[in-house]
Amino acid sequence: MATIALTQRSIVTTEVPWVRYTLTTLALLLIGLFLVLPLFTVFYEALKKGWGLYLTALVEPDALSAIKLTLTAAAIAVPLNLVFGVAAAWAIAKFDFRGKSVLITLIDLPFAVSPVVAGLIYVLMFGAQGWWGPWLMDHDIKVIFAIPGIVLATVFVTFPFVARELIPLMEAQGSEEEQAAMTLGASGWQTFWRVTLPNIKWGLLYGVILANARAMGEFGAVSVVSGHIRGETNTLPLHVEILYNEYNFVGAFACASLLALLALVTLAAKSLVEWRTEQLAAAARRDAVE
Amino acid sequence: MSIEIKNISKQFGEFKALDNINLEVASGELLALLGPSGCGKTSLLRVIAGLETPDDGQILFHGEDATDTHVRERQVGFVFQHYALFRHMTVFENVAFGLRVRPKKTRPSEAEIKKRVHRLLELVQLDWLADRFPAQLSGGQRQRIALARALAVEPRVLLLDEPFGALDTKVRKELRRWLRRLHDEIHVTSVFVTHDQEEALEVADRVVVMNKGKIEQVGTPAEVYDTPASPFVYQFLGDINLFHSRVHDGWAEVAGARITQTDEPNAANATLYVRPHEIDLSRVAAGSSIAGVVSHIRLLGSTVRLEVEVAEHDAVEVELTRERYAEGDWKVGEAVWLNPREAKVYLAG
Repeated sequence: MATIALTQRSIVTTEVPWVRYTLTTLALLLIGLFLVLPLFTVFYEALKKGWGLYLTALVEPDALSAIKLTLTAAAIAVPLNLVFGVAAAWAIAKFDFRGKSVLITLIDLPFAVSPVVAGLIYVLMFGAQGWWGPWLMDHDIKVIFAIPGIVLATVFVTFPFVARELIPLMEAQGSEEEQAAMTLGASGWQTFWRVTLPNIKWGLLYGVILANARAMGEFGAVSVVSGHIRGETNTLPLHVEILYNEYNFVGAFACASLLALLALVTLAAKSLVEWRTEQLAAAARRDAVE
Repeated sequence: MSIEIKNISKQFGEFKALDNINLEVASGELLALLGPSGCGKTSLLRVIAGLETPDDGQILFHGEDATDTHVRERQVGFVFQHYALFRHMTVFENVAFGLRVRPKKTRPSEAEIKKRVHRLLELVQLDWLADRFPAQLSGGQRQRIALARALAVEPRVLLLDEPFGALDTKVRKELRRWLRRLHDEIHVTSVFVTHDQEEALEVADRVVVMNKGKIEQVGTPAEVYDTPASPFVYQFLGDINLFHSRVHDGWAEVAGARITQTDEPNAANATLYVRPHEIDLSRVAAGSSIAGVVSHIRLLGSTVRLEVEVAEHDAVEVELTRERYAEGDWKVGEAVWLNPREAKVYLAG
């Protein structure tokens, strides 16, 4: 789309060639310097000493455990956010109630608060010196410096993704289709599964992809609550930091390359979803006979 | 299926949407709820459907109290202004929806569903669109599908919220005639909401004129048009001219000219309503003429509108047919006499 628009742009609305080329070169240079080069460096450093060392760094027990923990945290946090996000978006977009704007602000809170602060809040609540710390200790439940804390922190920082994606979409769609379904005798569940969900599925997928990327990549909040216990409470991003601080560059970059790969896959998936949504919209526009 | 509306009131915050509404809809009737936006007509329709809960009052279907019946058990067909078709389903699936969501016991078989959907699509004359998606249809087609979908559940009453509101004028006229014919065919008790007086008068058996949450008048189209119960109804059902008048010896007078007789013998303050097409123009004063000067002439297709300036009054609009306008050969700036043929007097206060 953008390129078509560019070539068709008339002489009246465009700049002289040297301005155009200078600006384009500048933009490409910046992208290369700040995005492409670092990405390249990650893979270059990881593979510098050969495939063998690269793979060894990945299958080493601590690394494997970090990968497993990251996947576990994401596997719990993402579905939770999916349910919360859909429920919150449904409530906000389809109903009017007192305190609606407060709820919207609350959903955005994790975006506004620094992740480190979020982690500290959990330490304050569940830590040994925290509000519920003594009670938890008495009952032998570990939250901070254990997996539950990591999951909690991950849920917190990824909270807005699904809801943020769905609220504008559902608000734009309105609730008339749901009302129509009700007058036709559909129950609440039937309305949700047959009418609401199919209408939001692409937006939902998009939100889940973003939430997942954040869940696996989160550093700050998790770092505060994890305690960095190797092989136990180290997620992949934390593991990268530890290895780097120990001058184990191949290991650090090997693990980092996994995260970079995840980012690339996420981007590809995101583009695919965007492309698909755009296609559906275009088809709808093209077919409209009005 | 008759509908009885008893003492229905509904308030949104400070705004009184419905103020003690009483109304009966006869079985098999096509009733129009007519009024300006914000008059409560859509709220009333939604209360009947069960999409809105009244603060007070009762809704009776066929003598049975349905006030607390949930919308999904009320068996009403509801057609929305913006169609509200399920955008991810084909036309066929849209119409079949109401049958598919039924509990297993009462759900028709797949073959039966197929038969019934096709019969309905034939009824709305769109059987050939069964595999299309709503986005691929024109506005008029979408609204007909929405109607077929509503009829699929065999509703006891059919409720239509500004069904032609989103369509352009030509399609709108076609579709409302089609709706009238369809209603004559299937005879399901129907209520439709509109702000278009022409639409209400043309389609409905009876018209309910609403204003500010209250019913102003109920009657056949001829009744409400010819004998408006209030100044509001008079104004709403077509253009009007207002004359300040006083009543003297049983006659309403404007600028000394006796226009029409009244029941009240004397009143200092009265308002006279005359429709633009109920005024004749002449160059010589008749018994009840008002003097004026033609200030504008506008040709509007089959009719001509003349604006006549009257001393100490707002400009008066006069509507003539093309033929009468040609006969009179009226010019801008010309002094004329206005002769109201019909007029209605409302006493002030």
